[in-house]
Amino acid sequence: MDNIMLPSPHKILSVLKETRAEYTFRVAYDGVTDHGQFFQLSIPKVGEAPISVSGKGDGFVEFTIRKIGRLTDGIFGLNAGDTLFMRGPYGKPFPVEQFKGKDLVVICGGTGMAPVKTTLNYFYDHSDEVKSLHLICGFKDIDAVLFTEEIEKFKGRFHVIPTLDNSSAPGFESGLVTAHVGKVPFRDFEDYNVVIVGPPVMMHFAALECLKNGAAEDRIWVSFERKMSCAVGKCGHCKINETYVCLEGPVFNYTKAKQLFD
Amino acid sequence: MMITKADMSRRARLYALLSRLYRVEVDAPLLDALKAMSFPTAGNEDLAEGYAMLRTYLDCCGGNAPEDLAVDYATVFLAAGSADGAAAIPCESVYTSAKKIFMQEAWEDVCGLYARSGLTKDTKYADLMEDHIALELEFMAGLCRGTDLEAQKDFLDRHLLSWIPGFVSDIEKYARADFYKAVGRITLGFLRMDRAMLDALSEGSVKQAASYSVRAERMDNIFARLRERYRIFAPKRFAKRGPKGTDLIRYGEIRSMAEIVHNEKSHFSPKEVFYPISQTMFLFKEDVCTQKELEDDKDIILFARPCDVNAIRRLDNIFLRNGNPDLYYSRMREKLHIFMLECKESFDSCFCVSMGSNVADEYSVAVRIDDICALVEVKDEAFLPYFADEVPIDFAPQFVRENKRTAKLPQIANRETLGEICKSDYWAQYDEQCIGCGGCNTVCPTCSCFDTVDVIYDETSRDGERRRVWSSCMLQDFTRTAGGGMARKTPGANMRFKVLHKVYDYNQRFGGSEHMCVGCGRCVDRCPRNIDYLDAVNGLAELLEKEDN
Repeated sequence: MDNIMLPSPHKILSVLKETRAEYTFRVAYDGVTDHGQFFQLSIPKVGEAPISVSGKGDGFVEFTIRKIGRLTDGIFGLNAGDTLFMRGPYGKPFPVEQFKGKDLVVICGGTGMAPVKTTLNYFYDHSDEVKSLHLICGFKDIDAVLFTEEIEKFKGRFHVIPTLDNSSAPGFESGLVTAHVGKVPFRDFEDYNVVIVGPPVMMHFAALECLKNGAAEDRIWVSFERKMSCAVGKCGHCKINETYVCLEGPVFNYTKAKQLFD
Repeated sequence: MMITKADMSRRARLYALLSRLYRVEVDAPLLDALKAMSFPTAGNEDLAEGYAMLRTYLDCCGGNAPEDLAVDYATVFLAAGSADGAAAIPCESVYTSAKKIFMQEAWEDVCGLYARSGLTKDTKYADLMEDHIALELEFMAGLCRGTDLEAQKDFLDRHLLSWIPGFVSDIEKYARADFYKAVGRITLGFLRMDRAMLDALSEGSVKQAASYSVRAERMDNIFARLRERYRIFAPKRFAKRGPKGTDLIRYGEIRSMAEIVHNEKSHFSPKEVFYPISQTMFLFKEDVCTQKELEDDKDIILFARPCDVNAIRRLDNIFLRNGNPDLYYSRMREKLHIFMLECKESFDSCFCVSMGSNVADEYSVAVRIDDICALVEVKDEAFLPYFADEVPIDFAPQFVRENKRTAKLPQIANRETLGEICKSDYWAQYDEQCIGCGGCNTVCPTCSCFDTVDVIYDETSRDGERRRVWSSCMLQDFTRTAGGGMARKTPGANMRFKVLHKVYDYNQRFGGSEHMCVGCGRCVDRCPRNIDYLDAVNGLAELLEKEDN
């Protein structure tokens, strides 16, 4: 029997500072991961937590981690060349195959952009595989903006609305993401999908706003962030009703997500 | 294959039932009893077809069935209305004698056999010949209650099986309704199956579940021998280790029977024996992780109550069937051998009957203990040699059939109702009352949640180990993420999560009829704030009923 709790060591290839509080760790990894999946990252002496894959390429995966909490503090002591223990990938991915040939709307808040970034990059590299892509990405303020270069890059091929919650800055709209959902031409879409990722409250209201603008419930996809000690259906932390987020999620169709009662 | 005393008495009951069916006509109460029975599907072709035919008849027959069957009985067995007396005459002599007449050699033989067994004819058989099928089947039922397997085989070979095949094909010929045709097929199928079972039993491929009476000091000797291969865990008394200077009863390794606390409920469940409160999963150095191996190669004997035995199946579902199986649990689970500790009577806070977990059959040995001796039923033949020199006795464990307390399970009709329950202010009562200590989860036999914790050996190195430690959904931080987000923020919400998991969510996920809760009542006993979990369950059920009305 395989030991599903045993992590394996991976070399850190580079560490990139995104903001004052967020760093992206590029880690050597030869396996396959799907869009929206996550790994259990562990730093010996500290513990283990589920972290989404924010980027991937030949021989590596990337994790963007915010410097809050006991676990993530430990990771910031690590540098290129150090070892990171991890196991995964886990979780049901975004149904990217289903997104192809249709319009796609991505609404994300803060670090919620991390789990959708590989999807965004896929359609950036294969822009003929999506009819249109609208990206609304919200951040608290200018200091909290993540993936600045990539957002600039996305502007070349997507309709991008970067926005700051309650301040203004050049190149940014102002207001919560919900304030900009109305700009998405849902009524012109023949067939489409909406991906919403961010804090629970943001996802809740962004979904309601989409519905108000004519989106259908079963076209909306969300991704949950939960505490997990195992990520393999045992530890119980991520359970909602009869559903285990680690096994059946973190990506859920809205028709299912709205029926999960915390 | 293992034959228990219960199986033996099932055989006897079936022989007796068949005897009754042939003795006189079926009356309405018997017909009702038959309708209420569930029939096995296993067995040979005759048996399976016979049961199916009987089921169909019983399901379809109307109010006239007793009269119809009385007519059929008379036609088939008494040759009523037949000019030449052609019928399935239910007496052995008629089938085995050359002249096909009553009171021949077979009749003489069974008369002698009954006399030698000290039997006299009961008045209910006064009108019947001694070699009538009803008497022969009743005699066989009596033999099944004894232990002489050779006598059973002999009687089947020399008598019943020598004529029943011909008799049954005559029933098929003369019966009009399917009822007696079905009874005939069942009789033949059962006799043949039973005969084969007896052969297997004496060839050793089937062992009879043996039971013994064992005096305490002899049991201690047996324990000593068992301890060469097994570690034995049972509920033990730890003086003054409980709250407020009370004694704590929890599981520990034992050497003698006197150490087993058999007349009180253990405060902790047995899960800590095979799912430790804290266990090291692996060791890590700079860049290598090494799985922690078990240090002990002995198997484990676990004395467990029926509810706790049933709880293990719930834990199995979580650790072995929810996603990929867990190695740490699996390797301990494989070591377990259950010695089921009979409950003489229900304890005050138990509600196992409501949860359907009062009866357990997944055990190697069942034990009834008092201060001077133990009665044991050995189902697992691996343990038979240990009891070979003990006094055989007729013992099968009894189960609690009634508790002082009962659970009313919430009937949640649909997802909408579930949503309403989750938003209900019913749970707010626990916000003040519950202090989030997690004691209820700790003593629960089915709570399985855990945290992982890293321990380093000294500040200067990176060498250390990762442990898995029991967690508790009642703790304030159970859902707190690294980023500080919390899915549930109040004790009331935690209480709702726990209650629904125990009496709804688990069942929704794994299906079947079982809930996670086994009704041991330990959480009720344990709560320092006297929160009564069962009241919470029943209150929810009542709330739902009220809303329905």
